[in-house]
Amino acid sequence: MSGAAADLPGGEPGAGLLAALTQEFASTLDIDETLRHAVDRCIAHLGAEAGSIFLLEGEQLVCRACAGPVDIRGLTLPAAEGIVGQTVKRNEARMARDVAREPSFAATVDAGTGFVTRSILCVPLAVRGAPLGALELLNKRGGDGRFGTADLELATTVAAAAALAIHNASMAAALVLQERVKRELELARQIQESLLPAPRDGGFAVHGRNLPAHEVSGDFFDFMPLADGRVYFCIADVAGKGMNAALLMARTLGLLRCLARRVATPSTLLAEVNAELCETTPLGLFVTAVVGFLEPLSGKVEFANAGHPPPLLHTTDGDWRRFAGSAPPLGVVDGQEFPTQRVALAGGALYLYTDGLSESRARSGALGASGLERLLAGVAPLDAALRLDALLGAWHAAGYAASDDVTLLVIDGAAAADDAACLLRRRVLATPTVLAPLRAEFAAALRGAGLAPRLVDELVLAVNEAACNVIQHAYGAAGAGEIVVQISNNGREIEIQVVDFAAPAPLTDIAPRALSDLRPGGLGTHFMQTLMDHCTWRHLPGDMGNVLCMTRRLHDLSEARGA
Amino acid sequence: MSFTVRREGGYDIVQLTGDVDLSCSPDARRAILSSLQQGHHTLVDLRAVTYIDSSGIASLVEGYQAARKLALRFGLVDVSEAAMSVLGLAQLDKVFPIHASLAARLAADGAAPGAG
Repeated sequence: MSGAAADLPGGEPGAGLLAALTQEFASTLDIDETLRHAVDRCIAHLGAEAGSIFLLEGEQLVCRACAGPVDIRGLTLPAAEGIVGQTVKRNEARMARDVAREPSFAATVDAGTGFVTRSILCVPLAVRGAPLGALELLNKRGGDGRFGTADLELATTVAAAAALAIHNASMAAALVLQERVKRELELARQIQESLLPAPRDGGFAVHGRNLPAHEVSGDFFDFMPLADGRVYFCIADVAGKGMNAALLMARTLGLLRCLARRVATPSTLLAEVNAELCETTPLGLFVTAVVGFLEPLSGKVEFANAGHPPPLLHTTDGDWRRFAGSAPPLGVVDGQEFPTQRVALAGGALYLYTDGLSESRARSGALGASGLERLLAGVAPLDAALRLDALLGAWHAAGYAASDDVTLLVIDGAAAADDAACLLRRRVLATPTVLAPLRAEFAAALRGAGLAPRLVDELVLAVNEAACNVIQHAYGAAGAGEIVVQISNNGREIEIQVVDFAAPAPLTDIAPRALSDLRPGGLGTHFMQTLMDHCTWRHLPGDMGNVLCMTRRLHDLSEARGA
Repeated sequence: MSFTVRREGGYDIVQLTGDVDLSCSPDARRAILSSLQQGHHTLVDLRAVTYIDSSGIASLVEGYQAARKLALRFGLVDVSEAAMSVLGLAQLDKVFPIHASLAARLAADGAAPGAG
């Protein structure tokens, strides 16, 4: 072979070089440093005057490492230009023994650097056929000044190892980037969650739930009591999902919340936010929304709709009314008017939802407004705050799954009228250690409501026994779920509701036992039935849990039982 | 809740203190049954019980039933008001032998030898 490379005596051609490079490639992810070493070693080993590695970056080839008299790092060449470009494009090695006769030689580089190129060996860098760049060696020293086949073979082997190292390093960089994006998404999710109003206790009239389809949501809801006694509420859906929707969500929520304190009607609120969004929102993004105000004392609601699915009113008679809107979404038509719609809740409930819910699908098809009405009717007997959790439980149990963010808001007429009735509601883990603090909280709330100490003790025992039943029997050994306990006082009777989310209990198993039947178990139910006037057990729809409702009339307060 | 067991007047006296609820009634149950299984007559002192629920009462019922099976004497002494109202609720205030104090129980044992 002519122009043989300077092989190690007695070894495979270039084996020492290759071993050293492979080890270096494997042990570092600092790719620029590694590539520089590789070029250094290559030119020393092959006896070249200079060498460089070009990597593809978009439409360009960029010199990432070089060795020799001229530092051309950062030099960019159009991807298809010159011998390097041809090598990458065709994914095959090129040897130009006399560049003066080589038509594809890009003499401009020499012209810019003063380096005189005589001969070139250029091999492609590729992984599984995907081009990454090329290794170029210039001007063979000694001999006839030309690179030979042995040089080509060695350079090809080095290039394969280098390509793998570059590929690994870029994979590692991609992983780091992915981790960072993940962390930032999680932060965004937390911030977004904190923008939504905290759940309200105490029979508040407005409750909402949001299930994001991804880390961040384009949906939102909001509500807040205003200084004049009204309650502001809104639900909205920003077109698109992901980060751009989430950012527009944060902006729209803030605008609405700020203006809601100042404007008189939902029409004005939507008109002002629409004007702002039309002026400043990137083209193609828009927001559907319903905003409104509840007058809690009268149960009257005013709202306006910008391209959002129709709110649904469930009346106390069990009928449904849908309030279709006529205006387009926010951020589309400047100067648009959004008519105010009015409804008296009269003890009924108004539901607002995003299309992520109505368009969710089960095997039987899309849920639709009718399907939503059917599910909502099932949970209607529950208190407003519980109802949304129960609805989502029933929705899930019926096999529905969403491909979009799901948001649901209720404005509850019964809760609006009943605002003061709830003394305390707690959601706790079903474990024995929660019992003592639970008793203390409920005792304090009942005493605070002015009930006689004896009655307080009895009601607290009833709560304790109901919670014990759930802890011992509902969740069993499968591990603790949650219990929701609520006590309300409407002036005529005390009502205790205890809800669990375990498998439905067979209602016949909860029968009280005869007192003559002296067994250690089953006393709890007997206690509850003795302490309270009525105890009724029922299942949550969709078999998603159990509700125990116990009432105690207040007129026999004076004739304390068992005294 | 905490409990102590002491030996006095021919009885193991299991004294329960604090709230006896589901979080600790298994301990009370073990203490009572352990005395009985050693063949000791057993009294449960409830003077310091601030709260008892059905699971606590169930532990007492188990003690009562185990004592009958083992032909041992069993009873409650010095029952706090909080515990007594719950015993009444379960109609168990007439089932368990209940005495105001250990002395009262020993006097009653003397008056009716062999009473269980």
